[in-house]
Amino acid sequence: MMIVNYIASFVLIALGLYTVCTKKNLIKIVLGMGLIDYGVNLLIVSFGFNEGGTAPIYQLSDLLNGVASGYFVDPVPQALTLTSIVIGACVEAMALSLVIMIYRKYRSVNADEVRRLRG
Amino acid sequence: MNIQNFPVLAVMLLFLSAFLVEIFGSKIAAIRNFITIVAVTVSAALIFALIPAVLIKGEVISYWMGNWEPVAGYAIGIGYEVDALSLFFALLVVCTFWLSAVYSISYMKDDHHLGHYYTLFLMLSGSVLGLVLTGDIFNMFVMIEIMTFASVALTAFRNGTEGALEGAFKYLVIGSIGSSLNLAGIALLYAECHTLNMAQLSAILSGGLSPTTVMAFALIVAGFGVKSYMVPFHTPAADSYAVAPTAASMVFSGMVNKAGVYGMIRMVYIVFRAMDASALQMLLVIFGTLTMFVGVTMALAQHEFKRLLAYHSISQIGYVIMAVGLGSTLGLTGGLFHAMNHTLFKGLLFLTAGAVLKQAGTTNLDALGGLSKRMPRTTLYFLAGAAAISGIPPFNGFASKWIIYQAAYTKAVESGNFLYVIVTVAGLIVSVMTLASFIKVTQAVFFGQLREEHAHVQEPPFLMRLPMFLMALLCSAAGLFYPLVNRYLLHPAVDATVNVTNYIDKMMGDGYAAAAGVTNIPVQEVQFSFWDPLLWLVLFVVVFVAAAVVIMAGKGSRGRVLEEGAVADPKYATFFSGEQELYSQVGGSDLFWGFKKNWKAYYRVMDKLHSGIVTDYTNMAVIAVGVIVIVMFIFLI
Repeated sequence: MMIVNYIASFVLIALGLYTVCTKKNLIKIVLGMGLIDYGVNLLIVSFGFNEGGTAPIYQLSDLLNGVASGYFVDPVPQALTLTSIVIGACVEAMALSLVIMIYRKYRSVNADEVRRLRG
Repeated sequence: MNIQNFPVLAVMLLFLSAFLVEIFGSKIAAIRNFITIVAVTVSAALIFALIPAVLIKGEVISYWMGNWEPVAGYAIGIGYEVDALSLFFALLVVCTFWLSAVYSISYMKDDHHLGHYYTLFLMLSGSVLGLVLTGDIFNMFVMIEIMTFASVALTAFRNGTEGALEGAFKYLVIGSIGSSLNLAGIALLYAECHTLNMAQLSAILSGGLSPTTVMAFALIVAGFGVKSYMVPFHTPAADSYAVAPTAASMVFSGMVNKAGVYGMIRMVYIVFRAMDASALQMLLVIFGTLTMFVGVTMALAQHEFKRLLAYHSISQIGYVIMAVGLGSTLGLTGGLFHAMNHTLFKGLLFLTAGAVLKQAGTTNLDALGGLSKRMPRTTLYFLAGAAAISGIPPFNGFASKWIIYQAAYTKAVESGNFLYVIVTVAGLIVSVMTLASFIKVTQAVFFGQLREEHAHVQEPPFLMRLPMFLMALLCSAAGLFYPLVNRYLLHPAVDATVNVTNYIDKMMGDGYAAAAGVTNIPVQEVQFSFWDPLLWLVLFVVVFVAAAVVIMAGKGSRGRVLEEGAVADPKYATFFSGEQELYSQVGGSDLFWGFKKNWKAYYRVMDKLHSGIVTDYTNMAVIAVGVIVIVMFIFLI
């Protein structure tokens, strides 16, 4: 049932936004950004999936002549998800390394204390 | 050589040299500079070579990666597609990056780990160029992500400076929320239309929007809103432009936020073709007006040169979004023209700020003064930029702002909606406040009394002056030769934005657009009524005489080293009346404290909103996204 996936992905996105908006710990904020990403990734793969579908390995002529029957799983969303996972991992890594350096400089990871730029 | 390959070559060259710089140039400065300059020069040449075909003959240039052309009416491969709108922005991109690269050589030479700097710089340039040239919406997302990474890393590059890490972190959090929104929108769009090619999407979506595509549209508009840093997504922009190395700030303010604007124009006009909806027009106009107003009022309260420029940058983007949101040809012309002008004059202003920072060692407005004596050329360039951004003729800012006011007022007359009258007036007031704010900067940095510690400040080196000179030249040229700019740059771009048949047919095969029911409406070239040469000449003489009088009058005190114990408190120094101070400097950064005092309630709210706490910023962003989604759902279905 795809509907479960859709609901799960929107729940993940909502939880991620909730974390980013309410948690004061910078590491938790980074994790929240990750949750948003995972939710979107789940959404994309779910769009491409067809229940009972096969691997998408055909010649175009097979499809046009009706040799290949039934559906196959759309490969494009999977490619998109892979790209997006890689990008997401980079965002996490970069954000965490910034948090480490912020901790060294400010001696805190509390968002209320990391606020020298304001106004 | 085949002209079709040029766009891809230009993008690939920049990415390739990013790696080459890291491999060969991390130790030796000459190799590093050579690779960077060659890369940006050649990619600029490749983009300029497209001008005759695209802007003059009106062709569209397309390239399919790996020759994956559309099969059975579906675009599977990744395509690059350059129409006049793309090329208009691509020209701005290559010019900005070329000037910034030249400036970087002198400006950055005392920093360490410069190999990393140029790698990030070239990655940034490649991604922004790729973003404006691509014809594939997912490729666009990837480019946005590379752009965000490179910008964040560049913001944190001088990580010893106060606030650099913090600014970078905030930029990354807000930026990645924007990217996620974009990706979610793209996913929904793919689920509904089964294609990622923007030309095909445009053809499919011209049939009308379903609830899924409206949701996708709302998410994508919000995503590009984040990338163009309109209010209330603007907070990380102010932080990062202020703390990044100035050559990078110039690129952020000149091109990175303009990439968001490009995405917005591409989406609302071409992919979704929804600019006829008055609700969408009103949404963009209200956000734009809010952006220009909040930006300029925040700028008035700043005490730091670069942060002040950053808020002005936000404010000018507000003009562009407002003009684009009007949905008329006139508005679009004004918006594109202002986007171009903003790249020129804001780049120039950031470069002068960089020169001040490099030579005088600070950008704190309270600690500067009288630099015109020591840096006359920089002062001249700064004045050109300040006049341009404040909309003083004959500079380019005047021409584009004038068109924007005209467009907003025409809209008010046509639609009979009082909102647009308010918007026009707001635009004028914001322009006046911009001028006020730049008078303050001029006074605080370049005029007034020279401080003792700055008595031996020198002009910046030639390689830093050259980009400033070229930009000042372009600022005046764009203002003086507006008809030519309009004919060869703006009109083709506007035409390509409104009439997308060519764009679709070039990618998907002839007749595809007609089959989807997309037709062309011929666009008239915008006529300009304001440009009377005689009036301009009179004005020029008046301005010249006034400037001469001001300079003569100030000649005695200008550049004099400040006397011992002269300034105690700038607030009283400004309005001394029979007090003990007979001779004192006007406190530049507090020039408008009376204004600030009258608006105390407003500034109290603004201080609370710009608290510096990252969760407050994310809250504002999420609420704004919610508003955009709800408004679109109510009015567009």
